[in-house]
Amino acid sequence: MFIRSTWAVMNRQPLRPPGALPEREFLAACIRCGKCAQACPYRSIRMAGLLDGVALMGTPVIRARETPCFLCMKCPPVCPSGALKRTVRRKEDVRMGEALIDKKTCLAWEGTLCRSCYDDCPLQNEAIIMDAELRPVVDEKKCVGCGICENVCPTEPAAVTVRPKGGV
Amino acid sequence: MKRARKIVQLVSILTFFIIIPVLNKNGIVFISGTLYSFAVGPVWITDPLIGLQTLLTTLSMDRVLLVSVLIPIVFALALGRVFCGWICPQNSLSELADAAAARLGINRLFGPKPSALPRYAVLAAILIAVPLTGLPLASLLSAPGILSAQAARFVYEGTVGLELGLIGLIVLGELALVRRGWCNFLCPVGGFLGLFRWKGTLRVAFAPDADHVCGGCRSCADACRLGLDPMGAALYPLCHNCGDCVAACGAVKLGKKPLMFRRVRGQAE
Repeated sequence: MFIRSTWAVMNRQPLRPPGALPEREFLAACIRCGKCAQACPYRSIRMAGLLDGVALMGTPVIRARETPCFLCMKCPPVCPSGALKRTVRRKEDVRMGEALIDKKTCLAWEGTLCRSCYDDCPLQNEAIIMDAELRPVVDEKKCVGCGICENVCPTEPAAVTVRPKGGV
Repeated sequence: MKRARKIVQLVSILTFFIIIPVLNKNGIVFISGTLYSFAVGPVWITDPLIGLQTLLTTLSMDRVLLVSVLIPIVFALALGRVFCGWICPQNSLSELADAAAARLGINRLFGPKPSALPRYAVLAAILIAVPLTGLPLASLLSAPGILSAQAARFVYEGTVGLELGLIGLIVLGELALVRRGWCNFLCPVGGFLGLFRWKGTLRVAFAPDADHVCGGCRSCADACRLGLDPMGAALYPLCHNCGDCVAACGAVKLGKKPLMFRRVRGQAE
C-alpha cells in the first residue's frame, strides 16, 4: 500500500510554471538553476524534492492547493535554457493544465450556493462560467491551469483540481 | 594577492548564498540566479558545461543559452580557471576543509598524484549519458550549482534538498580518502572549463634566470591549496591560477621572483 501510493505520487506529473515545454522535453531542458523560483513574487514555484521523484529533483513545481500561480508571467522570460518558453508573455496563452470539477463533491453541483472558483478565476467569466442553474463549468479551451480555483475551493479535498498538461 | 582572493571568495559566497536570494525574495530581481546560470540585468552568464548539456538533451540550439556561455569561456581563455580558484564555493569549502585537516593532522587513506585524466573520464561519461538518458546529469553533479541553488532554496523555502548529499560526500571524501579529491580528480565543471586554454592563457610560469634566482625554499609548493608543485612541469590543466604560489614565492633578490604569472609560454618578460 505504502509502496503503491509512493509510486503513484512519484509518477504523478507535476504542475509546471507557465510556458513550460511538454513534460519530457521540460525534464531534459531544465537545468535546475532555480531562477524561475527566484523570479516568482508569490513563492508559488517550489523546487521538487526526492518525494516528487528522482528525475524531478530540483525542477520547479507549483503546488496549487498551497500557492497557485497568479499568472504574473515573470518566470518565462528569465529561463536560461528555454525549458520555459520565453516567448509566452500573455496569461491567456498559458496552458499549464486544466481544471476539473468533481461534480460529486462540488458544493454548487450538490445544491449549496458557492461560486468561489468562479469569482477568483483570473480569466473572469471565461475559463469558468456559471451555467443556468448557477453551477461552475470549466471551458477547457480557455482554462490556463493556474490552479487558483483549486486553491480557493472550500471543500476538503478540493472539488476542483488542476490536471497538469505539460506544454506551454 | 592572497588577501584579494580571500575577499573575492567571501564576496562570491555572500553574493550567491545571501545577497541574491534575499534581494530576489524582496522583489528585486535585477541580479538573480545561481552558479548554474545567473543574470546581472541584461547580461546572462551560464556555466559552459550546462550549456553543452542542454544542447545534448534538447538537441536544439537555444540562442540565448549559447550566448550566455561566452563570458565564462572568454574568461577561461584569457585568465585560466580563475572561476575555480576565486569564485567557486565548493573550492572555498574544500580549502577550508583542507586547512582544518592540516591543523588536525588528518592523514588521507590514499595519496595519488593529482591528475586530470579521471576528470576527463567523468566528463566523457556525463556527456555520453546525458543524451542517452535525457537527464541533465551535469546539473546534478555541479557542486557550485548545487551549493548556490540549495542556499537560495533555503532562503526561499527554509528547506534544502537531497542534492546537498553530494557536497557532504565530497567533503568527507576529501577529508578521509584523497586530499582535494573532487577538484583535482573528479569535478566535471572544472574539467570542462580547463579545456578552454591556448598559448595566450594566463599561466603560472617558473622561469628562474640570472636575475630571477630561485632559492629552492619550496614556499610555493607549500602554499598551493591543491597540493601541486608550481616548479614542476605538469601544472596545467590542474592549476586554478589562484596566485597563492606567486604570492608566497620567496625571491632571493628583492622583487625578482622566479615564479610569475605570464601569458605566453617560455617567453621572457
